[in-house]
Amino acid sequence: MGTIGATLIRAGRRFLSSLPALFGVLVFTFLLMRVLPGDPAVFFASGPSAGKEEIEVVRKQLGLDRSLPEQLGIYLYDVGRGNLGRSMMTGQPVAKDLQQRLPASLELTLTALVIALIAAVPLGVLAALRPNSLIDHGVRLFCSLGVCVPTFVSGLLLIYVFYYLLGLAPDPTGRIDVFASVPPARTGFLMVDFLLAGDVEGWWAAARQLMLPAFTMALFVIAPLARITRASMLVSLGSDFVRTARSIGLSRWQIVVTYALRNAILPVITIAGIVFSTMLGANVLVEKVFSWPGVASYALDALLVSDYAPVQGFVLLMASIFVAVNLLVDVLYGIADPRATVA
Amino acid sequence: MYSVISRHLISASAVLLSATLIAPAARAQSRAETLRYVTAATVNTLDPNIPGSTREAFALSMSSYDRLVSFGRKQLNGKWVFDLDTINGELAESFSVSSDGLKITFKLRPDAKFHDGSPVTAEDVKWSLDRCVTAPVLGKAQLLTGSLTSADQFKVIDPLTLEVTLPRPDKLALPNLATVYPIIINSKLAKSHATPEDPWALSWLKENEAGSGAYIVETFKPGEQAIAKRNEAWNRGSPDKPASFKRLIIQSVPEPATRANLVERGDADLVIDLQASDVQALEAKGKLKVISTPQYNAVTFISMNNKIPPFDNVNVRRAVAAALPYDDMFKAALFGRGTPLFGASWADGTPPSGGYPIPQPVKLDLEKARAYLKEAGVPEGFATTFSFNVGQAATAEPMAALVKESLEKIGIKVDIQKLPDAQMSTSINEKKLPFFTEGIVAWLPSTDYFYRNFYTGNQRWNYSSTDNAELEKIAQAARFEADKAKYEAEGKELNAIHFEQMFQVPLWQPAQDAVMVANLDGYVYQFTRQVDYRNLSRK
Repeated sequence: MGTIGATLIRAGRRFLSSLPALFGVLVFTFLLMRVLPGDPAVFFASGPSAGKEEIEVVRKQLGLDRSLPEQLGIYLYDVGRGNLGRSMMTGQPVAKDLQQRLPASLELTLTALVIALIAAVPLGVLAALRPNSLIDHGVRLFCSLGVCVPTFVSGLLLIYVFYYLLGLAPDPTGRIDVFASVPPARTGFLMVDFLLAGDVEGWWAAARQLMLPAFTMALFVIAPLARITRASMLVSLGSDFVRTARSIGLSRWQIVVTYALRNAILPVITIAGIVFSTMLGANVLVEKVFSWPGVASYALDALLVSDYAPVQGFVLLMASIFVAVNLLVDVLYGIADPRATVA
Repeated sequence: MYSVISRHLISASAVLLSATLIAPAARAQSRAETLRYVTAATVNTLDPNIPGSTREAFALSMSSYDRLVSFGRKQLNGKWVFDLDTINGELAESFSVSSDGLKITFKLRPDAKFHDGSPVTAEDVKWSLDRCVTAPVLGKAQLLTGSLTSADQFKVIDPLTLEVTLPRPDKLALPNLATVYPIIINSKLAKSHATPEDPWALSWLKENEAGSGAYIVETFKPGEQAIAKRNEAWNRGSPDKPASFKRLIIQSVPEPATRANLVERGDADLVIDLQASDVQALEAKGKLKVISTPQYNAVTFISMNNKIPPFDNVNVRRAVAAALPYDDMFKAALFGRGTPLFGASWADGTPPSGGYPIPQPVKLDLEKARAYLKEAGVPEGFATTFSFNVGQAATAEPMAALVKESLEKIGIKVDIQKLPDAQMSTSINEKKLPFFTEGIVAWLPSTDYFYRNFYTGNQRWNYSSTDNAELEKIAQAARFEADKAKYEAEGKELNAIHFEQMFQVPLWQPAQDAVMVANLDGYVYQFTRQVDYRNLSRK
């Protein structure tokens, strides 16, 4: 009970201390967007017949006719009330857009991370068990290939082989076949919603749709995860407790999995947290290639046309997720290793 | 007990088995009745009048809303294209123009109904047109070009008759009513969602559709897809029957290679914005139907700002025009898919036609270019920047490299500048760019319209910052010219001034490549450079 209480207090304190950082991100992004060249009003009033008057209308709509401090004040007030503004690009409130698109990104990123972990941890362990052997070099080669081929290349390659040539994968557009019906949205995660609706066929269709983009992303992040697993496994295998375990004649499996890996997994958790946050923002190309309706491609489109509100909303969302993930990693750490609680 | 369970199990598995066997058949059938259109862009509003609306939004609104009138079609080199000179009734059963050209009377179809079942009345038409000229919408500036500026001009005579009054006879008044903006809205429905701050229900209509058109919007997810179902009661098509496809899926697929894959595998039916290289490859394979129409209402330019030195010197502009590697650019940028506007020979040095655009007598001639530079007083050349927008990189990037290479030979050092779309439009609007490439489109491509909109005034579309009193005078006079011969003569004069002054260099009209599955029929190139889904059917 005491440890749970301490962990909660710790988490709460961590959260509070991250608020100034979030606020800083908010103001910084706001200013950055205004400093960038490109006037959204001119861009959006670009119909074949849009002249000066239309530009002024749009400028007023966006509140760009006011002074900068005034705009910032209004923006902060709006964000405080949960209003992230309206996207000119989609015509929807940004909060609604993000809410609809975040589950798509999270689902993809989480699946990719799970696939990457399932592949990376055994690879890392194998490499650490026989350092500088053929296996180790093979793992290194595989990791290098994964990380040096850009995701849009591997994505297009996977599409070409599995969709275009073999016809095994469904058409690589979006989260679900356009002709299929969508389950009632409860969580926004299609894999969960289909299960809740009891639609196994639909679940399978959505899962198939998810595979190619998830593998594309997973390939890209296997390298850091496998490398960190290998490094920390090497440390752990060389430590005293493993030597002791060996000397008292425990089985090899028990030594590797129960003692060495359990101790080596902590840095992997930390890296996985960071990798996850990075993937969420960095999967723009994957989302583009697979027409995945996620937040990253949304933010990129908005940035290209200087649509302020969505970009600001996206950065705030990413910052919040980063804070949340770090908090989670902290808590997990605290649970796994009570000594870490002293902070 | 055991037998009961097993019987249940057997029947359950039978049901399951038949379900899996039947499902693909049912799906295949609905597939045949569905049109799946994939595009790079997105439908971002259901009301085309909202600033920022995309061409995809225009295309959907063409199908979900009716207008009073619509354009007919004609054949151009064997391809169907929209015809500005044929105006057909859409919601109007008939219309008549008074002999002095000041009054247009529309008789509405008595059987036309909105999607909620209420009849389309002259009241609705008036409210919709009033909105178009009064509210802060895109339609306002467009209808202006047809002398439609005030709500007083629209008068309800009886529930099925509406009269439009013009301050002077204007040949663009009627065509303007066929463009995308003057949609006819279910006014009762819209008004019930209007607020004191938003009397024209702009924000509601952006996300909700209240039309009488061929398709009823079912789902609308900006950035992903829009799905519409057929309006069975719609009879405005020819010959008076509903649209052919039962369902319409408009899906955003940002990756051009994926769009090409989808249509090649038959998963998508139609795509119009592929990369030129992909179109060429698909055409060579011969499995798909490729309809390539020159965009005869669009022009791609290399523009020079006539107010920024040294481009304020006509001889510098002539030098640039003589130093552009036209053929190479045409091949590199478009793979030759389009209509060139260079390399013509004007018999006696005067324009052969008063149309716009017409091929210009320009070709690559470095000697001539050097001579012009000498005459301009900058024989060693100068340094400048050449800008294009990221959105057009696929065609503009190879073009820019060729421009740089060729101009270097006469001493002009070109720094290539690739600008994000918003930054490019801002710089153009502020008249900051000296030398760049852009494209223009006119929905109502008449010579005077092009010259008035793209060569006069301190407005954004005057890319070259042209300020030429004579040109402006003729263009304004031509607008209301009723005599065809005189109009043609004025057009020739305008074309002569353009060539003489070389404000900017028209390069080509890019082709619109519509790539579709072999059994799709009825594609017509539209003024919106989009697809009119109502025309399409499966053979």
